[in-house]
Amino acid sequence: IAAKGGMAALTYEGCNFLRQRLVLSTLSGKRVKIRNIRSRDDEPGLRDFEASFIRLLDKVTNGSRIEINQTGTALFYQPGLLCGGSVEHECNVQRSIGYYLEALIMLAPFMKNPLKAILKGVTNDPIDPSVDLLKATAVPLMKMFGINGEGLEIKVVKRGIAPRGGGEVHFSCPVCRALKPVLLTDPGKIKRIRGTAYSVRVSPQMANRIVDSARSILNKFIPDIYIYTDHMKGASSGKSPGFGLTLVAETVNGTLLSAELASTPQGQGDPVLPEELGKNCAKLLLEEIYRGGCVDSNNQSLALLYMTLDQQDVSKTLLGPLSPYTIEFLRHIRDFFQIMFKIETQKADEDEQKGGDKVLMTCVGVGYSNISKSHK
Amino acid sequence: MEGREQKRHEQKRHQQKHSGPKAEKKKKRKQREQDAEQEQDERKRNPRAFAVRSAVRMARNFHRTQDLKTKKHHIPLVDRTPLEPPPIVVVVMGPPKVGKSTLIRCLIKNYTRQKLADICGPVTIVSGKKRRLTFIECNNDINTMIDLAKVADLVLMLIDASFGFEMETFEFLNICQVHGFPRVMGVLTHLDSFKNNKTLNKTKKRLKHRFWTEVYQGAKLFYLSGMVYGEYQTREVKNLGRFISVMKFRPLVWQTSHPYVVADRMEDLTDPEAIRLNPKCDRTVSLYGYLRGTFLKNKCQIHIPGVGDFSVADASFLPDPCPLPEMLKKRALNERERLLYAPMAGVGGLVYDKDAVYIDMPGSHVSHQQEEVRPTTELVQSLMGTHTTLDAKMAASKVSLFTGTAALTPEEVQDNSSGKQGPVESRVWDAETQRERRKAIFAEEDDEGSDEEDSEEEDNEELESEEEETEEEAEQEKKEVREERKAMKEDAPPIKRQKLEERAQVSGAVVEMPVFADSEDELEKSEGEEETEEEESDEDDEDEKEVEEEEMEEEEKKKKDRKGTAPPDSGHCSEEDTDSDDEVEDDDSEAEVDEEEEEDEDSSEVEEQENVKAPGKEAAQSKMLPADEEVKTDVEEKTEPGLETAGALRWKEDLAQKATEAYLRQQRAAPNVRKLVYGAVVEEENTDNEEEELGGLFRVSRPEKSKKIRADAVDCSRFQPDAGHDWDQEEMLASIRDCFVTGKWEGDKDASTLLKEDDELYGDFEDLETGEVHKAKGDKTEGENHDDDEENEEEEAPLVKVDDDEAQKNKRLEKKKRLKERFNAEYDDGDATYFDDLKEEMQKQAELNRAEFEDMDDETRVQYEGFRPGMYVRLEIPALPCEFVTNFDPHYPIILGGLGASEGNIGYLQMRLKKHRWYNRILKTRDPLILSLGWRRFQTMPLYHIEDHNGRHRLLKYTPEHMHCGASIWGPITPQGTGFLAVQSVAGTQANFRIAATGVVLDLDKSVTIVKKLKLTGYPYKIFKNTCFIQGMFNTVLEVAKFEGASIRTVSGLKGQIKKALRTPPGAFRATFEDRALMSDIVFLRSWYPVSVPQLYNPVTSLLMPVGQKDAWTGMRTVGQLKHDLGIKNKPNKDSLYKPVVRQKRHFNPLHIPKTLQKALPFKSKPKNQEAKGKTPLDLRRPAVIREPHERKVAALLTALGTVYNHKNKKAQAEQHMKHKDFLKQKEKEEVVKQKRLKEERKKIYRAMGQKEKKKLKSSLKGASKDN
Repeated sequence: IAAKGGMAALTYEGCNFLRQRLVLSTLSGKRVKIRNIRSRDDEPGLRDFEASFIRLLDKVTNGSRIEINQTGTALFYQPGLLCGGSVEHECNVQRSIGYYLEALIMLAPFMKNPLKAILKGVTNDPIDPSVDLLKATAVPLMKMFGINGEGLEIKVVKRGIAPRGGGEVHFSCPVCRALKPVLLTDPGKIKRIRGTAYSVRVSPQMANRIVDSARSILNKFIPDIYIYTDHMKGASSGKSPGFGLTLVAETVNGTLLSAELASTPQGQGDPVLPEELGKNCAKLLLEEIYRGGCVDSNNQSLALLYMTLDQQDVSKTLLGPLSPYTIEFLRHIRDFFQIMFKIETQKADEDEQKGGDKVLMTCVGVGYSNISKSHK
Repeated sequence: MEGREQKRHEQKRHQQKHSGPKAEKKKKRKQREQDAEQEQDERKRNPRAFAVRSAVRMARNFHRTQDLKTKKHHIPLVDRTPLEPPPIVVVVMGPPKVGKSTLIRCLIKNYTRQKLADICGPVTIVSGKKRRLTFIECNNDINTMIDLAKVADLVLMLIDASFGFEMETFEFLNICQVHGFPRVMGVLTHLDSFKNNKTLNKTKKRLKHRFWTEVYQGAKLFYLSGMVYGEYQTREVKNLGRFISVMKFRPLVWQTSHPYVVADRMEDLTDPEAIRLNPKCDRTVSLYGYLRGTFLKNKCQIHIPGVGDFSVADASFLPDPCPLPEMLKKRALNERERLLYAPMAGVGGLVYDKDAVYIDMPGSHVSHQQEEVRPTTELVQSLMGTHTTLDAKMAASKVSLFTGTAALTPEEVQDNSSGKQGPVESRVWDAETQRERRKAIFAEEDDEGSDEEDSEEEDNEELESEEEETEEEAEQEKKEVREERKAMKEDAPPIKRQKLEERAQVSGAVVEMPVFADSEDELEKSEGEEETEEEESDEDDEDEKEVEEEEMEEEEKKKKDRKGTAPPDSGHCSEEDTDSDDEVEDDDSEAEVDEEEEEDEDSSEVEEQENVKAPGKEAAQSKMLPADEEVKTDVEEKTEPGLETAGALRWKEDLAQKATEAYLRQQRAAPNVRKLVYGAVVEEENTDNEEEELGGLFRVSRPEKSKKIRADAVDCSRFQPDAGHDWDQEEMLASIRDCFVTGKWEGDKDASTLLKEDDELYGDFEDLETGEVHKAKGDKTEGENHDDDEENEEEEAPLVKVDDDEAQKNKRLEKKKRLKERFNAEYDDGDATYFDDLKEEMQKQAELNRAEFEDMDDETRVQYEGFRPGMYVRLEIPALPCEFVTNFDPHYPIILGGLGASEGNIGYLQMRLKKHRWYNRILKTRDPLILSLGWRRFQTMPLYHIEDHNGRHRLLKYTPEHMHCGASIWGPITPQGTGFLAVQSVAGTQANFRIAATGVVLDLDKSVTIVKKLKLTGYPYKIFKNTCFIQGMFNTVLEVAKFEGASIRTVSGLKGQIKKALRTPPGAFRATFEDRALMSDIVFLRSWYPVSVPQLYNPVTSLLMPVGQKDAWTGMRTVGQLKHDLGIKNKPNKDSLYKPVVRQKRHFNPLHIPKTLQKALPFKSKPKNQEAKGKTPLDLRRPAVIREPHERKVAALLTALGTVYNHKNKKAQAEQHMKHKDFLKQKEKEEVVKQKRLKEERKKIYRAMGQKEKKKLKSSLKGASKDN
């Protein structure tokens, strides 16, 4: 009774960064209140995909309390303990599985039981980082923080393209007691580029056309390029046609930089040519390389979160320019964990041609330990 | 002391003898020792004895040594001890009247040469060049014992040797064990009460061994033999002090993972007006103390044991009131460095924080001081009177006054309350004097001692008891005296502490000192002021020191003013806060000033941004600075030399550094990424709200379009690419050229340079066969990676142009050496074990941790790291219950324990628990129990359970006697693996051991899975073969439906299953059994019913109790206690009572086999009992024979004759039998003889026959020969 009175809930406004807030709230055990969710919108309140996310969060936690007002414009979340286990979730098709998976990756190492999630829905869409991207970049990043062991993997069983989805992804992650501090200050030089060109319910030639066009640009820099073509058929091809490309550049030090592009969903805007898509995606990768850093722009917030949750040691990571999402994430980290990062800009050297300015993030972890894991 | 030292000087120096018998003796001894030493090296002397005999044995030995070695290893941890560690907490513990206060007093005197009359609250002292100590006295209250065991680094456990161990000692040891074992050192006192030397030694030994079994073998036990003038002997205290100051401590898990503060000062900051209106309003209190454990974050949650959970409103660090000596010299501490800080005890110089300066005056100066401080002006004096209630208002309106009124100090408050509580207190005193000592007796001990000893002991005890009585009388007298004194103290006005109001915050400065600009006038002026103050109070050294510190403080304040900074604050303020209109309480003037500054800075933003470089280059950078800033730095640089000449004043020494720091801070305030992320830098945080005001009252509310849009934007982590980059252009492509392995490499990593380096090292070699010398190509051009001297050498070489063989040889040798070193380095590294690697890794991390924020100033550093352990911090805590202030008693420790993430939440905890073996009762499920877990003490209702083999948690009614069991409680979330202990009550003292149980947290959950067995019974009402209709188990059809298919049993052991519900009667069902059930059977269904853990979490608020009753906290009572208190007798269940057993006789019906069946049966199985015959007819019945008397006589005679005849016959037969036996024997004998004879005869015959045969054969052979 007395302990509850000690702390008031953190209050935010608007639906943006909902995932961040709920995830950080779950990890820090602080209650959160979000008001004015699309209050001036024509359709006020939470959207279906947000509701679906909240439901997913409810599935992996135990004892959390979620209150939503009648119009859905206000949300109160009192976090429970992360229990994990086997979870199956039908993700709303308004957003891709990446939307849900990003949050789940943040929570997964701190569960009571190893998480085995089966997520169904859209695997690739143009808005969110796709499952392939997370598989290629987020999983190795987790390993750097000492989250390894049996069954850390993301498996794309079925591919489902927006708008109708029909894909299936298996994500499993072991639990860990405490994270390891990292020192990622030297990204190293890129030694190879890998990628996946996928196509479903269209001609298998599409993938090859994408690969050719992407190679035409990237070959100027490095010869070691291999882009897999992944054409899914039948039951594993989902419900909508589409294609896309994911590119990952790997450096000698194990840093992964990635870019991806997906075709516009059926019936939403002009269709794109595979050649064009390949070229644009390659350019996106170049942009990502220009930004540089030891963690790519999609996973900045994940890396920063893990740094925050480290033992009470100094962690350092070199990042490219901070994305708006990351900046907001840093603010949220300060709210929830009282951790501020030391942010130092590293100017690009004049005579070296290694892209733009970098940012060196330094922090002392909070000494977080997995309180859900049982001690026997 | 001085006298003794002089004496030492007078003594002659010792002179060694070089001749004479003594010297000879010594020489001989030396010789002998040397010889022995030589002999000791047996391996050399007798190598054969150590030769390898058996490889297996050797391997085994090797394994053993390796095992022993690895056993010693601990998991290496990152060394996180701060450079300047906080004072070590020394808890002095022991039962009452054992000499705790005396010991502390003696130790303090030993370390600081100061006398402290009343040990009240923590006392911090500087004990050595690198060590500070905080002494805390632990009284007999179990609450205090628990709290202090959690924060102690070292425990001095005082034991009254004349009495022996008391329960408190063992309780405390057990508490320590549960919460991580701090160092424990025993101290035996009252040793002078032993008159007999032998008993003394025996007691010492006995106590020592008992102590060792409790702590560890060889634990240090100190002996304090007797008192001199009410103090312990100086030498012994000195030794003890030495022991303490060299002691090493182990890191305890809980302490190193949580920040905590042992508060040594408390100030009530509540608005006096609010108190006046409502004396019971919640208080805002600031607590001070050294931060220990780990980093403390601002706005974090804390728990104050005995009060509850709170969140820190504001944390800030203050200059160390008891700093370690600045410079490490070889000599011992001088008098000035031996500091003592104990604000609760009324000592400790001057303390200042952001809103006031406090000077603690020693008692002798109080009245004098007061006179001088009191302003002479009438007006001010009148203001002073009203000030206490208007204080906060004035602060709010930014009018700052220099007044000398006393604030509501804790002493004052306490005095008030104690005045009110007078009678209560005295009652407690009475109780104390009647205290019973709780002697702890152990069976082993008694066994140890022989009978003799026992008798001796008894004698002693008798003596003791007499002594005790007298002692107690004396005690009582003393106490009375003390009380009187106390009363006198209460009467006297509390004017110990002078609060020099210095609301010299930013705003104050603006109003009071218009010299906000950077001029030296201000400095001079303030110094002038200080001088006057100095004059006022320079009677004593101590005062001087205070003033110095004050100066320092003021100086700092001014510096802050100049910068327009708010006091240190680790800046927790999200952007939303600063932006939203309603939350802002406008500090008008402050904001304005800051805004101005902001604008200034903004104008120079662009330039500054370029200037952001590594710290320490301010000289170069200052040239590029805008004018006003330059002036500022100049000022500070100018002040530097002048002040430095002033002497050894510490605050002045690092003025230059401070100036640079300040400068750097400003630099950092320049817009950078940090500003982008975290909004404005802390100092200017509240300036962001650029609100237009209309007439100072109304604000223009203007919907912020952009913000709203962003708040409802799409939640996506993608980072859209920069539109400015066109990746079709060559320049853009070129800009990332070096990111690839195909691009240009840095000098130290480029393949070609690396190759060259290798060439230098390995390139030249001499072919031994041909004698050719291959020289490295890069020999001449090297030099990048080589030492300077070598470079010189090489530069000289072409100059001199001497083709000297010697030189070349040398060079080659050098090179070889280097090569070898490198080789060694590589190979030795391979030898390193996993453990070494891990250790090295930890070492590296520790270094990184230390180095990362080292060159920052504290204010910035605090924002990144949080407050470092070792800092002296001030924590402002709002909404504390008023009892905390009104019932404040400095004798009870206030601990602020920081809570980790989600440790402030409540949930279900599963723990492993064991009843303490010294606790003499078992614990009952659902009986309230007081747990000490983490920082907290709370009452809760545990459910005990045990895990069945199939993982089911079955509820237990009571804890097992000598076994672990599970316990589930509703309580604060605490990390797994944390130990806890349980007591039944914390009120008063009991005769028995108080710790009921100990255990560890296993699991945290938001739900529980405890079940208890539930048996539902029913009765058959209709039975067909194996089917039964059963009623009475359920009440409705629905209930039955839920249990369809469940297995049931009868008492007689038949197993069955529930099949289906019946319509009538409701709740009846059909069931089948493996056999036909009986109507008399009872059917039952065994099921498991989930039990819910009662949600009781009741923190023990012992600190809120009135003074003198703090150990009288009682929470919820157990049912047993309630019944006892209310006099309710338990009504036994009628059915549980014993009644005489009445058994009905059972009647069995005869077995009836149907006729048809009988017919079908085989004869064997047919019932064979024949039918009863009918009555024999009369004619067939024969008449009975009745004899005449004569006939009867005849018959009797005949019978007698017959008997005689029979007897004769029998006798004759026996005779005959015997005869026959003899005859047979005879015959046998004869037979034997006959046989013998026959045998011999046969022998004869056979021989004759044989001979005949022989003859025949011979003759035949002869005949044949004849024939031949």
